[in-house]
Amino acid sequence: MGKRDVQICFRFGSGTPDMERHRSSGARTPLNSALVQRRSRSKSYRLSYRSCLGAASRLGLTPALTARRLNTSRRAPKSHNISEKVSVEQLALLLKKEWKLSYVTPLYRFRHTQMRGYSRQLSAFIAAEKHQGLAVDVEAAQGSFRASFSVIQGMTETDDDAETILIQIHSKSSFPGQDEPQRALWSGWLTCVYGNPEYLNSLPKDFTCLPLFCSSGSEVLTNAVKSWFQLTFDCCFGPLEISHTSLQWLVALWTNCHAECNIQHLKMIWSVPVVPPLQITYTVDGQDAWELWNSLRRDPQEEGEGGKDEEAGSNIDIMEVERFMQGLKGHFYRHFRLDLSAGSLKQVSTALGLAKCNGRMKISNSKYMIATLTLLTECALLKMPM
Amino acid sequence: MAANQSASGSSDSESPSLFDSSSQPAPNSRSFNRSVRVAEKERRKNEAEDPFVLALKFFSDVEAGTPAFGNDNLERNLVLVERVAYSKGLSPEAISVMLEFAMSLRMGTSPCVRVLKCLVPASVVPQEAVVRAMVWLGVCKIPASTQVLFIKWVLTIFDMIDAKDQLRAIYGFIFSFVTEEYLCPFVCHLLYLLTRKESVRHFRVQKLLELQSKLGRQPFLLHLLSLYKVFCPEYVTLSIPSRMKSGFRNHNSPWKSALIAVQRRNGSQIASSASLPSTIKDKTSSRKRKHYHLELPVLCSQVNKQAQTEPSLGRKLVPLVQLSSFTQLLDHMHRIELPAQMGSLLGSSLALQYLDCVQDEFALLRLNFWLGYALHEEFLFCGDGRASNSEEALQFLDKLLSTQHFLQESFSSTEVFLYKFLSVWDGSLLRPQILSLLSNIPVVPSSQIGRLLFEPLMQLFFTSSLFFKCGLIECLNSMLLKWLVWHSVYALEDDLDISLNSHTSVNMTLSGFKDSVMELVHFVGRLASVGLQLEGGHSLLLSFILDFYETVCDTFLKYGLPLIVMFPPGVFFPALLSPDPVSVDRLAYIMYRYKVNLTSAKNQEKGTEQAFHINRQTFREFNHYLVVMVSCLWNSRMFHSGMGVELGEELLLKSNVPQYSKSFDLVHHPAFLSYAVDFHHKCWPERKDLDLDSIKQSKPWSWYLEYLHNQGYDGLKQIVPAP
Repeated sequence: MGKRDVQICFRFGSGTPDMERHRSSGARTPLNSALVQRRSRSKSYRLSYRSCLGAASRLGLTPALTARRLNTSRRAPKSHNISEKVSVEQLALLLKKEWKLSYVTPLYRFRHTQMRGYSRQLSAFIAAEKHQGLAVDVEAAQGSFRASFSVIQGMTETDDDAETILIQIHSKSSFPGQDEPQRALWSGWLTCVYGNPEYLNSLPKDFTCLPLFCSSGSEVLTNAVKSWFQLTFDCCFGPLEISHTSLQWLVALWTNCHAECNIQHLKMIWSVPVVPPLQITYTVDGQDAWELWNSLRRDPQEEGEGGKDEEAGSNIDIMEVERFMQGLKGHFYRHFRLDLSAGSLKQVSTALGLAKCNGRMKISNSKYMIATLTLLTECALLKMPM
Repeated sequence: MAANQSASGSSDSESPSLFDSSSQPAPNSRSFNRSVRVAEKERRKNEAEDPFVLALKFFSDVEAGTPAFGNDNLERNLVLVERVAYSKGLSPEAISVMLEFAMSLRMGTSPCVRVLKCLVPASVVPQEAVVRAMVWLGVCKIPASTQVLFIKWVLTIFDMIDAKDQLRAIYGFIFSFVTEEYLCPFVCHLLYLLTRKESVRHFRVQKLLELQSKLGRQPFLLHLLSLYKVFCPEYVTLSIPSRMKSGFRNHNSPWKSALIAVQRRNGSQIASSASLPSTIKDKTSSRKRKHYHLELPVLCSQVNKQAQTEPSLGRKLVPLVQLSSFTQLLDHMHRIELPAQMGSLLGSSLALQYLDCVQDEFALLRLNFWLGYALHEEFLFCGDGRASNSEEALQFLDKLLSTQHFLQESFSSTEVFLYKFLSVWDGSLLRPQILSLLSNIPVVPSSQIGRLLFEPLMQLFFTSSLFFKCGLIECLNSMLLKWLVWHSVYALEDDLDISLNSHTSVNMTLSGFKDSVMELVHFVGRLASVGLQLEGGHSLLLSFILDFYETVCDTFLKYGLPLIVMFPPGVFFPALLSPDPVSVDRLAYIMYRYKVNLTSAKNQEKGTEQAFHINRQTFREFNHYLVVMVSCLWNSRMFHSGMGVELGEELLLKSNVPQYSKSFDLVHHPAFLSYAVDFHHKCWPERKDLDLDSIKQSKPWSWYLEYLHNQGYDGLKQIVPAP
């Protein structure tokens, strides 16, 4: 038996939900597995036999590592006119593409001033990988691929964040000079947005922390780029999944934007652990989702003192997120007698973007990308081994 | 033919004396050679008529243009030289003369090949001769095959050349021969052997790449280029396919057998095979691996050189890849370049030695990032249950352990990993490795030790098998030992005021350290008490626990730590009442060591002011245990009031054990009963009925104690010395 897909799409206010349901029996027992998330504990000190480990002490001592879990409160995304800071052409390269996410350990001796040298080296490296057993001149790289490094200025939010790096690989064989601009065969970028300042400051100055790596293109080229980075900057790449909790955060963060920018719809894909596996697509109209969200948001504001209203409004608490999810699940349960707590959230999408639990994401609207990237940077930093 | 015979006849008698000196194993030093040559010169005066010397004289004096064809003189002398060469090898001097003769083509090209083939060195080859011959290569019209033969000869005897500095000086000249297609493979090999960082230039790289585009993927070009890449990865990059990894071919065939024979005869130790130094590491396995993150990176030199601060220094740095022996490491200690990926150090003991010596903060951080990444990916981030008991994981941890043992310290990334891993570990996955890693962790501050270590370990301990319990106690014992050794080493250094303070822990005071040790000992005490109950006082577990307390009881005298912690009753009584005589004896030994430590501490307390203060409670506990032990084993006063084990009178009567207070003395104790019976038989062989109480009479009692001592129970003897 293959997978069963259930697609459900409805509006809250419209009375009977428009739904198709194939089968939903067998999913009676809500398991709490959905909330299982590995919480890594860690230490807040460092001791060593020798001073050589004293180096690490700087890292170990940061409380950043003791609180190794997602922030429980984050600022509500505000419409960011990012195009004022970042060039529109570069921004366009980041949007509307599905990116595969990875985390990267800090880069050793990476210099933002060496982009041309890196481009040359990477081109030569790819050529050498492609033609096994053929030496390649780094200075005058031949081969059919041309890699180019560039700095995307302005993506940083704090002084500690390193500037974002964009890597593109073009094919040389295609004929330039055509009307349409040459399309990149592969592209990827390394970024750090609102990285934990304590962690970033604890790194010695020869290390550059760009923990989030997004790539799009053929796997072979991704691997080549990763190998080159590993060899050149002594760093490591690992897959970055988007956890259930992070996806819930995105649900809330994106819904919260609806007041300023129409999110069209809130689409969630849940997978419920029954045999055979059941996948449920749950789509809510943007306005309805926002209304639900807004009704939940009101409480803390009323509780809070008058002067703090504004501040309370700009911060979102994990409790609110959980209440919101509870509301969405409760609504679903009333209609279908199926408790989604038993399952886990696999994918979230709105008009602002898309995020999948297997570590793929797409940003469709640059105005709110900073909030998404902040969350993802945080996830990537959580994966750091030290 | 006739000439041949007569020549050989005369040479046999004389030549041995001439080559006596060179037949000894000659060290590869020029001063020595010079003295050899001086000695030879003297001899030559005496033996001016030696036909071999005359033959050499012929070859050095013969005029250019002398015809070779039908020249009997040439034939006779050449045969003479050949005979000596194949039997004993040629002296450095003779090599110079013959090489000069052949390469200068004074008698044309025909004798040239024959001379080259007989150039079997007895000891070393003078560098000057090779350099001169190289020059002739450029000047004369030597046939291609002969040129190839010459280079092959140089490759064969490369390790026997007495010095290489001048050869390196003409690197550029030798390089120019790569354009000769027939010479190219051999010249590349020679260049490979001569290349130093200074010799790698961009125009040379370009030349080789040009050749590559002309000749295709030739292994010799690739190997030379790969060496260039080691030195200057900023010029060239390549990846070598696995089928090309074998290195250069050996070209020693024309000389191989002769050389081996000569060397064997001379007992020479000089290696002649100019084999490829292994810079091209063959990967451990070419098969596709599942766990890429567990694969050690290959040792290769840094690519990212532009970022280095001092470019002038950069030229002189020696990549770690290039070093193959400890001596080389020492020679270049001050200018070693770290590899591109620090993880690769884990695979090389030489590199680890370097790492241990230089306290490079960045290097360690890089290594820790990689190591932490690998451990996290393998054991913590593997959502799909990949963390199987795989062979790769096992090997990886074993390698990590051997590295840590080598460095005698733990990596901080291992530590961070372990604290996280303990809370998800099932206690059986790779148990020996994980426990060993755990035993390596440095001192944990007492404020954190409970949360980081004790909580997860306690859960594991109480839910796991007996063997896990034993393993964990052993691990904690070894952890404690390492902490104590660390303390005794660095406490000593502080006393001597050696400015090695940077070597000690960052912020650990003595009292902090004592707190941690005390926490650990108390923790094991709790585990042991409950563990012994759970396992019914299993003697294997008891043995591991007593091991631990053997470490604990000696902290003051053996490791100079002013701290004495007693064991809990939960350990004392199971050991005292154990049916296993060894446990009882070890308990007595531990009590004895406690006594020695306490006495010594007390004396110090009286003597000096700075002595540490021992809690009166500790003395009280010790005295109590001692009283219980003595009155139980020696004085047959078990179950008396104030003994710690108190049972109601009526309950004891109900048990129907006659004279219950005696039942745990050294005669009736279940552990020693068999000895008592045996002793009884030996003492009174004629007696039919067993009366163990008779052992308790004063004379047999002292014999019995002596008998127990002879059985190896020293601890008992030490705690109560024989009267």
